[in-house]
Amino acid sequence: TEVPTMAQLVGPLRKELADSLFSCRVLVVGAGGIGCELLKNLVLTGFKNIEVIDLDTIDVSNLNRQFLFQKKHVGKSKAQVAKESVLRFCPSANITAYHDSIMNPDYNVEFFRNFQLVMNALDNRAARNHVNRMCLAADIPLIESGTAGYLGQVTVIKKGQTECYECQPKPTQKTFPGCTIRNTPSEPIHCIVWAKYLFNQLFGEEDADQEVSPDTADPEAAWNPADAAARATASDQDGDIKRVSTKEWARSTGYDPVKLFNKLFKDDIMYLLTMDKLWKKRKAPLPLDWTEIQQIESSQEEACGTGLKDQQVLGVQGYTQLFRRSVETLRSQLIEKGEGAELVWDKDDPPAMDFVTAAANLRMNVFSMNMKSRFDVKSMAGNIIPAIATTNAVIAGLIVLEALKILNSDFDQCRTVSLRSQSNLMCTRPLYVQIEDGKGTILISSEEGETEANNNKFLSDFGIRNGSRLQADDFLQDYTLLVNVIHSEELEKDVEFEVVGDAPDKAPAPSAPEEGKNIANGNKDSAQPSTSSKAAAEDDDVLIIDSDEEPSSSTMEASPESSNRKRKHHDADDAASKRKRLDQQPADDDEDIIALD
Amino acid sequence: LALALSRPRGEDNIISEEEAAQYDRQIRLWGLDAQKRLRGSRVLLVGLRGLGAEVAKNLILAGVKGLTLLDHEQVTEESRRAQFLIPVDADGQNQAQASLERAQLLNPMVEVKVDTDAVESKLDDFFFRFDAVCLTRCSKDLMVRVDQLCASRNIKVFCGDVYGYHGYMFSDLGQEHHYVEEKPKVVKGSNEANDGPEAKKRKVDPNETTMVKKTISFCSLKEALEVDWTNEKAKSSLKRTPADYFLLQVLLKFRTDKGRDPQPDSFAEDSQLLLQIRDDVLETMGLSSELLPNTFVSYCFSEMAPVCAVVGGVLGQEIVKALSQRDAPHRNFFFFDGLKGSGVVDYFGSK
Repeated sequence: TEVPTMAQLVGPLRKELADSLFSCRVLVVGAGGIGCELLKNLVLTGFKNIEVIDLDTIDVSNLNRQFLFQKKHVGKSKAQVAKESVLRFCPSANITAYHDSIMNPDYNVEFFRNFQLVMNALDNRAARNHVNRMCLAADIPLIESGTAGYLGQVTVIKKGQTECYECQPKPTQKTFPGCTIRNTPSEPIHCIVWAKYLFNQLFGEEDADQEVSPDTADPEAAWNPADAAARATASDQDGDIKRVSTKEWARSTGYDPVKLFNKLFKDDIMYLLTMDKLWKKRKAPLPLDWTEIQQIESSQEEACGTGLKDQQVLGVQGYTQLFRRSVETLRSQLIEKGEGAELVWDKDDPPAMDFVTAAANLRMNVFSMNMKSRFDVKSMAGNIIPAIATTNAVIAGLIVLEALKILNSDFDQCRTVSLRSQSNLMCTRPLYVQIEDGKGTILISSEEGETEANNNKFLSDFGIRNGSRLQADDFLQDYTLLVNVIHSEELEKDVEFEVVGDAPDKAPAPSAPEEGKNIANGNKDSAQPSTSSKAAAEDDDVLIIDSDEEPSSSTMEASPESSNRKRKHHDADDAASKRKRLDQQPADDDEDIIALD
Repeated sequence: LALALSRPRGEDNIISEEEAAQYDRQIRLWGLDAQKRLRGSRVLLVGLRGLGAEVAKNLILAGVKGLTLLDHEQVTEESRRAQFLIPVDADGQNQAQASLERAQLLNPMVEVKVDTDAVESKLDDFFFRFDAVCLTRCSKDLMVRVDQLCASRNIKVFCGDVYGYHGYMFSDLGQEHHYVEEKPKVVKGSNEANDGPEAKKRKVDPNETTMVKKTISFCSLKEALEVDWTNEKAKSSLKRTPADYFLLQVLLKFRTDKGRDPQPDSFAEDSQLLLQIRDDVLETMGLSSELLPNTFVSYCFSEMAPVCAVVGGVLGQEIVKALSQRDAPHRNFFFFDGLKGSGVVDYFGSK
């Protein structure tokens, strides 16, 4: 038998490839979950010249997956510690670390041109967009990636060969209308957003787009225009809702928790009740009264038993007490900071988190929603994306494999690889539905954009009629399905089609869901949601990837000029955008999103 | 079913504040109950090359109670490839021993131990002290023996290897593996306080989930490797069978015959032998050599670090799932082809 001739191997690699790894220079943007795994893979594979940049410092919550860091490193620069840890198992690697933001103008197109390859290991949209543009400008290949929970994705971006990161519109941040936040919340997240606004109005930087008081201009509230005008006038006279800012008012009371409580959860609610049209089809809110609550037999706070303390859900009394305690603590913080002081909300600052937990829950209670534990509120308020080591390990492995193809100039081998549930690593390859007429007319294709134009057409537009046959091909499985089209006058009302016939022969099926074997072309049905995908936009096929976690106290400070942006919509993670923007950004940039399956 | 899921193996049921802080991001994914089960589990990991190091890292970070690193071989330059736990100056030391310090530093809350014996020398009861066993770089006979021994005692068995650009993992979770899946709660719609006061009834409440209990059964490794390809049904499924399954058979035979894996510095003779074994193995199965084209020999030497990362990640997560009894496990193979970048879960064995 003939042996394929090969130049000598260097470990598992052909010598030419190993040599090219030795001389090339690569940039890794981010030294967090993906970054740590990626650096390790790169040096072990044989890459010698690596630069890594990250603006962040190490937090204890990173340690479950960012394995280059230990507890003693908490507070230090991720890029710096990552470099040191890698050098310990690969002292010959040439690594340069930057504790800095990639959006710093120092890292210009010339800087990017130093590299043969750039790999993103980021967690936010703004930086991704930025790097995407720099790589296009410098004409350097970019490997983009992201993970959330059990899911992940790797994509190669090369000017002229593939579409870029911004070519496909990305789902935008979920936003809520002002009236929902201020007047008619229906879900816990509305109350949590409200509570974060309240924090800013009372203790932080006041923002005209973050009003918390009842919105008299709510179009839903008006029976007729004259009424609306009357309301607007009434509100001016009623408790000075409009005239005095919330902060000024709070200050005038000395941040008295009882007065604050009664205004927010009693007076304002009673005002909302006068807007009776709002409550015609909705359950009306129930105001709370401080004195009444104090008089209820306070149930002993149960020993947390075997659960996490934070996962307990308290009662109204509990959250009332928490409200009082946190207001008092925050008040002291303000006093300590002195005249004109402002606090910045931080999910890892206990009184700030307590305040939002308490205020949000009290509001949930007012609006008859099940209350949430601090643990859950923190997830939502802090935009926390659950994360584990293994997903990052898999994705980082795939990144390096794509990198090797790029260095070999095998661009046509490059794939978008998605890690979906059941660990099936799906390389995106087409799934087609075409008419079996030998002409190859494709009706539906899984390749994005290819058959968009057909979406609003009728089958008859393609000459399909009773008796026509369609052929569906799944190339990854080497599987073909034939569908006979039969016209019927007898379908039920509103039913547009029905599938009849024997189930087709499938490959021997494991008892685990068969969907794992399908080409996941973005088919929502084939991906099981990760357990914490509660913030997901419902129709989202797009994978993951942007976290924009609320800052912990360990991150770099936000630059001051980012703080004056006005926006129309109420975004769930307002403050986080301030942290990430270390330079000026146009005011209408898309916010970073959490997009989960 | 209720019995099987009743008590986490943990000795104490309380999660400390330190653990809560460190494991926060994973508790938010798989829940506190799963974390407690992990915390009560002891795992044996055999083989500390590239794949072993990845699995060790993943399990230690996940927070198992104890991990025993077992390896009788010594560190060489080749064995340090794709292995980030062994210091560069450790040549000549035992591989497990050399990995210990860095492994322990990954998470001081896990008891990491070392055993320098050859796994073949271990008696049956050695394995019984573990909740899960993960075998890498082991001979087929040993894996079959340990699998038979353990599966009947509800000890979860995993096997895995990386050969160059290719890798696989196998699992046998026993005849009756119980687990839970978290599903969104279907709300019938009522007037009671729920997560929304809307008058309209909502079919699925996005904020509430429920745990669904399931059971699944696995076949033995022996059955999985001894599929009869001569019957019609098996033949018809050949088209969809990953070539990696046959590659695995070839490499396991090489390992048995030579007592080692293909080595870069014996490329010429090893590749000849691989082709010969390929012919023999496929012929014995009654199959054509074309199922595994000659090119395979170029890509199955040593261990590719990124392939170790991918296979080690999947394998690590399967072990976590099995120990925590949460989420559907793979059944029963995962094959990864690093050249194509494709990974598939597939089933081999009796139904």
